[in-house]
Amino acid sequence: MGKEIPAEKSLNLIRGRLCDPSFIFRPLSASSDSNYSKLKFIVSTSITEGCNNSILLLGPRGSGKTAVLDLVVGDLLEQFPDSVSVIRLNGLLHSDDNCAFKEIARQLCMEHHLLFSKMASFDENSHFIIAMLRECGLAHKTIIFVLDEFDMFAQARILISFNLLIGKQRLLYSLLDAMQSVTSQAVVIGISSRLDADQLLEKRVRSRFSHRKILFLPPSRDELDGLLEHLLSLPADSSFPSGYVSRFNDKIKNITSDRRFKDILKTFFNAHSTVNSFLKFIFCAVSLMNLESGLLSLENFKAALSSMQRQPKLEAVRDCSVLELYLLVCMRRLEVKEQSSYNFISVMKEYKAIHDSFQTSDYYAQNVCIRGFEHLRERQVICYAENRGQSQTGEYRPMKLLISASELHQGMRSHACCPAILLKLLDH
Amino acid sequence: MPKEESSKVTRRNTRSSASVTVENPEPIESHPPTIDDLTFGDESITLDAVVSDFPGRRSQIFDFIRLMGPLDCPTLPIMIYGGASTGKTSVVLQVLRHLNRPFVYSSCRTCYNPRILFESILNQLLLHRKCSSNGYSSAKRCDKPSDFVNLVREALSNVIKTLESASGTSRLNKPDEKPMGKMVYLILDNVDLIRDWDKGSMILQFLFSLDSVLKMPQLGIVLISGLPPDVYYSNMGYTDPIPIFFPEYSEEDLRQIFLRNQANQKLYSAFLDAVLRSFCRVTRRVEELSTTFSSLFRKYCEPLDDLGISPNEDMKRRLYSHLKPFIAPCLNDVFRISSHPHDGETRGERRQKVSFSSENREELKILDFHMSTSAKYLLIAAFLASRNPATLDASMFDSTGGMDNRKRKRKASEKSMEKKEIAEQEAVMKGPGSFPLERLLAIFQCIASVGDSSFGEEKEGEEEEDATGYERENNNLMSDILLQVSSLCDANFLIKSGSCPLEGSIRYRSMVSEDLALKVAKSLSFPLAKYLYRR
Repeated sequence: MGKEIPAEKSLNLIRGRLCDPSFIFRPLSASSDSNYSKLKFIVSTSITEGCNNSILLLGPRGSGKTAVLDLVVGDLLEQFPDSVSVIRLNGLLHSDDNCAFKEIARQLCMEHHLLFSKMASFDENSHFIIAMLRECGLAHKTIIFVLDEFDMFAQARILISFNLLIGKQRLLYSLLDAMQSVTSQAVVIGISSRLDADQLLEKRVRSRFSHRKILFLPPSRDELDGLLEHLLSLPADSSFPSGYVSRFNDKIKNITSDRRFKDILKTFFNAHSTVNSFLKFIFCAVSLMNLESGLLSLENFKAALSSMQRQPKLEAVRDCSVLELYLLVCMRRLEVKEQSSYNFISVMKEYKAIHDSFQTSDYYAQNVCIRGFEHLRERQVICYAENRGQSQTGEYRPMKLLISASELHQGMRSHACCPAILLKLLDH
Repeated sequence: MPKEESSKVTRRNTRSSASVTVENPEPIESHPPTIDDLTFGDESITLDAVVSDFPGRRSQIFDFIRLMGPLDCPTLPIMIYGGASTGKTSVVLQVLRHLNRPFVYSSCRTCYNPRILFESILNQLLLHRKCSSNGYSSAKRCDKPSDFVNLVREALSNVIKTLESASGTSRLNKPDEKPMGKMVYLILDNVDLIRDWDKGSMILQFLFSLDSVLKMPQLGIVLISGLPPDVYYSNMGYTDPIPIFFPEYSEEDLRQIFLRNQANQKLYSAFLDAVLRSFCRVTRRVEELSTTFSSLFRKYCEPLDDLGISPNEDMKRRLYSHLKPFIAPCLNDVFRISSHPHDGETRGERRQKVSFSSENREELKILDFHMSTSAKYLLIAAFLASRNPATLDASMFDSTGGMDNRKRKRKASEKSMEKKEIAEQEAVMKGPGSFPLERLLAIFQCIASVGDSSFGEEKEGEEEEDATGYERENNNLMSDILLQVSSLCDANFLIKSGSCPLEGSIRYRSMVSEDLALKVAKSLSFPLAKYLYRR
């Protein structure tokens, strides 16, 4: 009983670390050529020199762009407490201008302890923002605009009319334009997972945007090893029993130096490369920790790997009943026969043909089959081939399989009670 | 799964609709919602009870608990996925009940658009309850994700503040109760439905990245989805939540599930021996199987006087041979839900009713529903109009009545056979054809007259009067035919398909299967096969 408490505590500590991005990216940004130092240099010079600037942070999702930016912003707020204010926007939330201006105005009001009116119009808000920019410029106060999901602000929506397309980038344009024309100090930092985010900009917006980009690359092996130790080792000076800490840390060292652990990591990085997915993997492994012994083991990492490597389509095939497998095999056979398109009726014909030639025990009425069909559709193993033809009932609408032949084959092999005849039918 | 139902019901009573409970309405009005309402309310249950409540879900339960972690552990978003009726929602709710942690539950099935979803989450977080005094309105009006983020952040920090202050005191007051901790969990059910919403992909993006947008480690997010994570991939991408898969129940699990809450375990187990395997080949969904099994089990028990007995081998064999003739037809309508509610009846009545319904079934074999003669003719006419090419109408319905199929039979060459096959395939793909109202009426008139004359011939010898009666009816047959057409449309036998762009008139399409059409024709003793064009 006394042992359970340090185990829970260590689990709590490690999970807390894993969910705290600033803890993770602090050591990664220590070196002088890290993205952290680059970004901090650029932003702090524009603060001290009182000029405008714009930067793009580009990199795959989960590579720590936002986390590094947060670190920089946090440090700058400490360094220049009076001359920096931060406005955060997210392309997911504020991609329409009205919303975005309102949010900027709201955050400016919060920052400067002004009263924010919800009812303010777009025009009022934009005047307010430009006035604030000017005021801040006069007071030598830099406003940092953080635009997360930058591509959403910039994205040209082809489907929506050209009018809206202009409107889409109005926010960017007016921000950048205001920065140029007004004596202001502002830094616009865009974050995007699209490497071509700046190419999405219109010409007049692009010309006002400085093409400074910082790329976020996947971490190197050394960095990861360091990160692993940083994450998992327990501090010696805390309230843990001293024997426990040394045992825990020894065990971690033991695991990380193990050949098999390196293999696990290698297979993991074959599929995932970003820091965040690595953290997720560690999170899974840590939550599998045995609370009795309070120590991690190699098996935890193995189990975590297998829980991360899911094959949903195979699982879906394994979930099918025998009748549903018959339907899938029939559809597959029709595809092999190069029948360009097929619907439920033609599948039923094939099903009947199979029954006639092999006298299978699984021959069910059409209304049962159609429910099986619906189940398959619900699971997204099959779907309607086209969205037109709504006037036809489901039986006549053309269908298609959403799984490949090999997936079907593999899934049926590992199915608990797949009849042997079906496998044979699938082959020819 | 009666268990699952009941748990959902109790939960509903404890939370959102508590004001509607009938038993004791007076304290509810006075009781303002408190932070305790975010937990399950009833006393928490032990882990063993959770595991034994859900046979076959042991590993999923343990995985989920491990990912939730001990008290006050921050977690990454979790996604629970698996087919329908695999116990996803109930496991999550029962585990939270076991852990006694505060949570917010919203299902995207009842909250069918973003605004309702957001407001439902906010209402729960703000401890707001819709009632007559506030005009059943929500606490906050919120339909944009941007507003939602601000409001949720505010509401959550308030909730967490109260939780933090409460965590010290409640432990002193009720030492036997588990502490609630300082985490709040947000459970979103049926996430897959969002894909069909207007701008659904945006909302999904938002929900999947809610964790990183809010940046509040005190919020744990659990998404429950009927579909695997790979269907949500879009070109924008997001960081995946941690998946937990709920597979379909195996045969052994199903046996365990069906044996729960059975009065006579041995009898039911013998019954399951007889039916479970063959039904599992068709479907493994608990909900579908349970409806079929309940009626089959009644049939199984029919020869028994005492339901409490434990059957020996001989008895089992006897019962099986009694049941056997019912299994095959039942397999072929697995999904029919019986329309007689049996629950609250005594056994005698029930048996009477069962025998009655089985007699009925025999009758229904002929035709499952009642229809007027003219509607039947109309149905056949529509069927013919959809199946036969319009160009052949004249030759089909000439004075000789019907086509002589034999005349056209010739030994087909290989090439023409191939052509025929392709044409057949095309016909299958196209489905039933559409036709204008005029054609339907013309065919109707033809076949109604033919049908009557053939009827007349048959009955002539028996009764003169009847034949004249038909004569009279024949005139009436045309009278309200348009009304019949519209009622057939309402019953989905005919559907209106888009109007023809040239003529502008509405076209119809028959949705009747060949089996049903033949059945209807048989009930009229109308020679349908003679009129059906076969390629």
